[in-house]
Amino acid sequence: MTELYPGYDVLAKRWTQSWNEQTRAVIDARLAAPREPIFFTPDEWRCLSAVCDRIMPQAENRPPVPLAAYVDLKLREGFLDGYRYAAMPPQDEAWRRGLAALDDEAMRLHAARFHALSTARQDHLLSRMQRGELNGTAWGAMPSALFFAHRVIPDITHAYYAHPTAWNEIGFGGPASPRGYVRMALDRRDPWEAAEAKPGEEERARRENDRVG
Amino acid sequence: MGAGFVEPAPWRSWRVRASPTSQKTRVPAERTPWDPDVAVRAGRRLNRASGTIAASVLLDSAIEHYRGSFHNKAMFAPLVSSALSLLAGLHGSGDRRPRPHPARDAAYASAALIGIIGTAFHIYNVGKRPGGFSFQNLFYSAPIGAPAALILSGMLGFLAERVRDNAPGTKPTIAGLAAGRVVAAGVAVGLLGTVGEAGLLHFRGAYHDPFMFLPVTVPPFAAALMGNAAMGSARKPRGFTRWWLRLTAVLGFAGSGFHIMGVARNMGGWRNWRQNVLNGPPIPAPPAFTGLALAALAALSLIEDQDG
Repeated sequence: MTELYPGYDVLAKRWTQSWNEQTRAVIDARLAAPREPIFFTPDEWRCLSAVCDRIMPQAENRPPVPLAAYVDLKLREGFLDGYRYAAMPPQDEAWRRGLAALDDEAMRLHAARFHALSTARQDHLLSRMQRGELNGTAWGAMPSALFFAHRVIPDITHAYYAHPTAWNEIGFGGPASPRGYVRMALDRRDPWEAAEAKPGEEERARRENDRVG
Repeated sequence: MGAGFVEPAPWRSWRVRASPTSQKTRVPAERTPWDPDVAVRAGRRLNRASGTIAASVLLDSAIEHYRGSFHNKAMFAPLVSSALSLLAGLHGSGDRRPRPHPARDAAYASAALIGIIGTAFHIYNVGKRPGGFSFQNLFYSAPIGAPAALILSGMLGFLAERVRDNAPGTKPTIAGLAAGRVVAAGVAVGLLGTVGEAGLLHFRGAYHDPFMFLPVTVPPFAAALMGNAAMGSARKPRGFTRWWLRLTAVLGFAGSGFHIMGVARNMGGWRNWRQNVLNGPPIPAPPAFTGLALAALAALSLIEDQDG
């Protein structure tokens, strides 16, 4: 995929008016999240990492966003959604049970844990989960379709878009604190926002993005 | 109304006969001698008042239209026009010749014209948005009252030139009316319009600071005093009006000071100036009141110098 925001690096705002001490502290903490399981067991971690790779495949030419680590962090710190489907257990319990059930389905179908399967087989299992067709005893009363739609997808995609790498990809400005935005109308750009490369304007966008701060 | 109003001809013929050095000695004894410099002095003061408003418009429209990314090329027009009006004000302020200047007249006329077009444009801009003329759009889209300040600068400058456009030693008139009264009436209307703009935007700001009530209390009273001066007796002492106008003039600059503090109170303060100068209260806007008060003081002098 061609870069939509060539040369844009949201972290270049670090020492500009856009960020202050609090902003830097928040981003630093996020970037320093440990890349290892603390909430999850090693088995759960391997399964989760494999699920993350299929739900949010990442480019090879850059350090990946630590998706599994952010999910681990969310559960460890107890960041809740503010609501829960009645058929779903609390989020930490849902994740433990869902990952165990996925490994269980993999063992029954293919005699291997989920992370050890080919990507095609992983995708097949995930698709069946999405359609609610996985209903082994390991799931308990939790519908696999609800686990897919309300735990797997949101937790992993939210983890992805919490990282500056994803912000660069979509031209997001990061935390608007202390500096906000003053040009609120549609399709208007503040000089400290990422410049989108319209076809034929890649160089202009790159120059603009060099100045974003 | 003085005699000069209804029969200006003798004054004109008198001017033609007079030599500049001996004007006063030739004034008929029963007539109050008109200082030939009165009109020029009033004209210069009005040039200055017009220039003050033009400076306010120049800075304000530059900031606000920069914020609007000069999306429409016409958004450069008020910058050019107010800059020319400001130059005309500076030039007129130093010009002691008792006649209008065609370049200044052109600058002022175009300022008034562009101000009128800008007002229409801003009205159109508000009206075309979803919700039309709702408070939301009046608050957050193009401010309807802002281009009117350019009209005021043009109007005051135009009046400055008309005041000069009187034979030296005659009572200055504009379109047959006493010049001081015309300017006083114009200033009263201008003050009320500017109060409307400040009132709307301070209402949007929820009058969160009690000082935000000042521009909706002090200038309206000044407008009332000027309305009275425009209609009332020229011989009545108006010391209180003068002091009230001086207060209004100071208020214009104080307003900028308050707005500078307002910018500082936004998140990030002045360090985050690229955001807050645009997003905070408009620093260059309040001196429009100063310009109007200066014009009002010039008008008062003209009225008081008049022969009743």
